[in-house]
Amino acid sequence: MPTTASISSWHGKLDLAYENRNGKTQLIRQYGRSPLKVQRSFYPEGDSICHNAIVHTAGGMVGGDRLSQTIRLSPGSRVLLTTTAAAKVYGTRGRSRLHPEGIESQQTINIDLAENTCLEWLPRENILFDGSLFQQQMRVNLAAGSTFLGWEIVRFGRTARGETFREGEYKSYLEVYRDNIPVWIDRSRIAADDPLLNSANGLHGQPVIASLVYIGEAISTELVSEIRALSDGNIGVTRLMSGLLCRDRGASTVASRTAFVAIWDRLRYHYMQRSACLPRAWAV
Amino acid sequence: MYLPYLLQLVSPALPVGAYSYSEGIETLVATGTIASANTLKSWLETELRCGAIRLETAATIRAYRAEGNTDAILYWNAWISASKETEELREQSWQMGSALRRLLGTIAPSLVPIFDELGDNCNYGIAFAIAASHWQIPLEVVAVGYLHSWLSNLVGAGVKLIPLGQTQGQQILIELYPIVEAMATELRSLDDGDLDCCAWGLSLASMNHETLYSRLFRS
Repeated sequence: MPTTASISSWHGKLDLAYENRNGKTQLIRQYGRSPLKVQRSFYPEGDSICHNAIVHTAGGMVGGDRLSQTIRLSPGSRVLLTTTAAAKVYGTRGRSRLHPEGIESQQTINIDLAENTCLEWLPRENILFDGSLFQQQMRVNLAAGSTFLGWEIVRFGRTARGETFREGEYKSYLEVYRDNIPVWIDRSRIAADDPLLNSANGLHGQPVIASLVYIGEAISTELVSEIRALSDGNIGVTRLMSGLLCRDRGASTVASRTAFVAIWDRLRYHYMQRSACLPRAWAV
Repeated sequence: MYLPYLLQLVSPALPVGAYSYSEGIETLVATGTIASANTLKSWLETELRCGAIRLETAATIRAYRAEGNTDAILYWNAWISASKETEELREQSWQMGSALRRLLGTIAPSLVPIFDELGDNCNYGIAFAIAASHWQIPLEVVAVGYLHSWLSNLVGAGVKLIPLGQTQGQQILIELYPIVEAMATELRSLDDGDLDCCAWGLSLASMNHETLYSRLFRS
């Protein structure tokens, strides 16, 4: 990486490790390096599920920023993770005379789920400013009997201000492995200079895309029909080999999240026999 | 001598049932997104450049190169299954793969052991790669052949569904050949770390195909 970029860019790090101690999921190890840190644990639905919110104290990512997170769940632990605010990725292309092409903002997330664990990964949305270059690599390793539910909601451009995404690139890889065999590979890339923002193959002119993935036990066709009915068919729903995928393409991150919360709630009955418990961080 | 084998493998007469799959085109025609030769061509062109067929073809190329390395072939087979966006697209790949696997078991019996290792969920691209490598078809034409058979099948689906004249369908094929050639070259040199695509439109069209009221096609 060019030294000119590293002077002003963040190399944030967050490592979290959870353990089930006598039925209580506890955050037993945490290491945070600015701008990443984790707020204190909450137990709004009893000891077995630990809720944590991750904070990005700098407010957003600039070109050259690198964030890396490692999350480990020991056998029998259950965790709900969210973020306290939307993740903003600022424009970098055309912003600097030294790097007119811009420099990527990168985020790497590695998640290890041991036997009989459950991680719910429910971050706030990503907002890609015009000219931003965002790369995310997320890898989830699952052991037997573990469950992962995660979503990603992305807005291209600050549309409320009339900004469109005319330049830049979004790249997000999510790879889920069970016992080293790939079970869900989702490698998305959308660049502003290819036809995807407007073509039917891509965003079809919509500024928001969102996907929700559940990997755990196989899902019945009846449950798929129920989940489709929750959004009146507006959200794409299909079965994965041992789970479910939902895709949304629309105008509003709030609408996507509201629809996903309803789906998450229904799925939670399936894998945990509980209803959804909204993270406290969202209320602020 | 490889050419007759290649022609057999990419022929629409190969009994793998490709003609019964539209890969979302039936939904897109039903919703009016694809309604003409131009919109069909534009959809297929963007799929070739940026869509999920990139990943499938790239994994097929890797399985071809893995000749003899069973673990690598099994890995890329699992990788294709895991990267299929929807149940219908995954079932399509497995059903066509099974049909090709059964056929090869008879016409190329030395391939039976590798297909036994792969089991029931053998993706079409993997079966195609195993056959191509067995008949020593050069990789550059394997990649072009694979993309061409995918493209000509979907042009056929579009011609039937929109409907278009047969000549219009042939015209679309001809016009997309430079992109087929360019993608076949690009995908041969792509690093594993750069395998990506944008499948949002395909994914939604295929998901919605599962609930389409009246269906001629199985995907």
